[in-house]
Amino acid sequence: MTWSEIALIALGALAVGLLLAWRGASRLDRLHRKVAASRIALDAQLVRRASAAVEVAASGALDPASAILVADAAYTASDAGPVTSPAAALKMDGLGPERERAESGLTATLREAMGAPEAIRTLLAGPSGEVVSALAAAWYRATLARRFHNEAVAQARRVRRLWYVRLFHLAGRAPMPRTVELDDALPHALEPNGG
Amino acid sequence: MRGVRRRSHRALRVGIVCPYSFDAPGGVQFHVRDLAEALQAAGHEVSVLAPSSDDINLPGVVTAAGRAVPVPYNGSVARLTFGPLTATRVRRWLEGGIGGHPFDIVHLHEPMVPSLSMLALWQATEPVVATFHTSQVRSRALQVAYPLVRQSLEKIAARIAVSEDARRTLVDHLGGDAVVIPNGVYTEVFSSSPRRPEWTGTPDAPTVAFLGRLDEPRKGLSLLVQAIPTILAGIPGARFLVAGRGDGIAAETRELLGEQASSVEFLGGVTDAEKAELLASADLYVAPQTGGESFGIVLVEAMAAGAVVVASDLGAFQRVLDDGAAGALFRNGDPADLADTVLSLLADPARREAYRAHAAEWVQRFDWSGVTEQVLAVYDMTLAADSAIGGDVVGRIMGLFPRRVGGDA
Repeated sequence: MTWSEIALIALGALAVGLLLAWRGASRLDRLHRKVAASRIALDAQLVRRASAAVEVAASGALDPASAILVADAAYTASDAGPVTSPAAALKMDGLGPERERAESGLTATLREAMGAPEAIRTLLAGPSGEVVSALAAAWYRATLARRFHNEAVAQARRVRRLWYVRLFHLAGRAPMPRTVELDDALPHALEPNGG
Repeated sequence: MRGVRRRSHRALRVGIVCPYSFDAPGGVQFHVRDLAEALQAAGHEVSVLAPSSDDINLPGVVTAAGRAVPVPYNGSVARLTFGPLTATRVRRWLEGGIGGHPFDIVHLHEPMVPSLSMLALWQATEPVVATFHTSQVRSRALQVAYPLVRQSLEKIAARIAVSEDARRTLVDHLGGDAVVIPNGVYTEVFSSSPRRPEWTGTPDAPTVAFLGRLDEPRKGLSLLVQAIPTILAGIPGARFLVAGRGDGIAAETRELLGEQASSVEFLGGVTDAEKAELLASADLYVAPQTGGESFGIVLVEAMAAGAVVVASDLGAFQRVLDDGAAGALFRNGDPADLADTVLSLLADPARREAYRAHAAEWVQRFDWSGVTEQVLAVYDMTLAADSAIGGDVVGRIMGLFPRRVGGDA
């Protein structure tokens, strides 16, 4: 094998490597964007849920003790994490344990404050039905947003485990994306039809 | 201009892709047709792309993407559309949008079926929502093609499964998760259906309805037939109305039942209107299916029409019947238990009324209006995520060049 042949083969290997790297990098870039974008959407939706919860607390639909606890949990949740800017979202590190705990806390408090299915049906039929169903809608959308976000995270993590992605350091200094784990289960009676 | 996209309830332009031909009726086609209608009723603009020959009468919103060819796939014959010409048509449809405006959302049905939806996914640059219907995703051919489609699958921003079972298969075969949004039913059609005197039961001669292909063993007609003698022993006047096609089964059943055969009437295939009338007239609707059901839409239709449902305790049926609060369940595959359940129900008008009252309220959650709300919530979250970070730079640079046929490659 002459040196020119070796050079040709080396060139070919380099070209294949570059192609793999380019395609891997653009795929990873797309997935990272998806992770960041869906995280922003999730964050915004959780904030919407918290403000809907405050409105329910202020509407007089709940007993005073529940109202105070719901409002407190909602403020804790919205204080725990400021609305993420695109730059912060690019860190892709979930929502942080403090925020996740606060959101789970809000969920638990809301579930307790709303009570049994019959009580929720009464709430929905009552004068504050509108704010309660607004809360239900925001809450349901938050569960959707979290699912879509975690799905994007799982896909990005899968791609980052590929050998050529690791070999070429295609992810650069971007941190490994983390899923958002929190309790956002809707009470049965607030689930939109089906579920 | 993705940045200015607002996420409130503004009118959306939705492109829906159906992989199966409208020439032949089927669950996915009905779902697509009904979803398109429901979205339009909610004030959104819809365009549907489906395989179809041009000569067939299509609903106005449907764009024909060419003739569907019967091809053997995954153990049966499916009518699918594929090939380079189809890919070009899909691209034109995607580029055309609605009235020259691009789609806000492209909603694909069954993107893992090698037909239009897969081609649309491959080429779409819009935010993509995908709905998975079947509980059969994996095939050997798909294993071969999987590396090619996996990247496309990453484009899907939101996945919907029409049932818990469909979701489970999706999770097992493709990984990842999906939101369950059930099939919708226009409950109004069934609850307002007129009755037919000849199918309406009396206290002495109650009517029991069965619907489904007679020659498909899993639909369970034979279970009902085995239960008939016991039921007749308790209520001699009971009548059984059996609707559905199946060669030679009627004669076979009559022979099997001998003298009691006169209590069974075979109605053959029925139209949609006749089905609604049958379910509105009958006292009981029996669903003795032994398996292979992922949702049980007929049960919902029966509940909406006002028939009391007696169903086998399959997982899917338990869920549809609110764990037995909206209808009676019997042990799957047990004709004696079926007969007992039917007899006790027919003897107890108060219990039937309780089931009917609960069912009338319960079915509302399966109505298209509610289902559409859920689908719109998914669109909402998809668009919110899409607009959170503007369009990607690579995409915008590539956008300077005309889109080639060949989405990902």
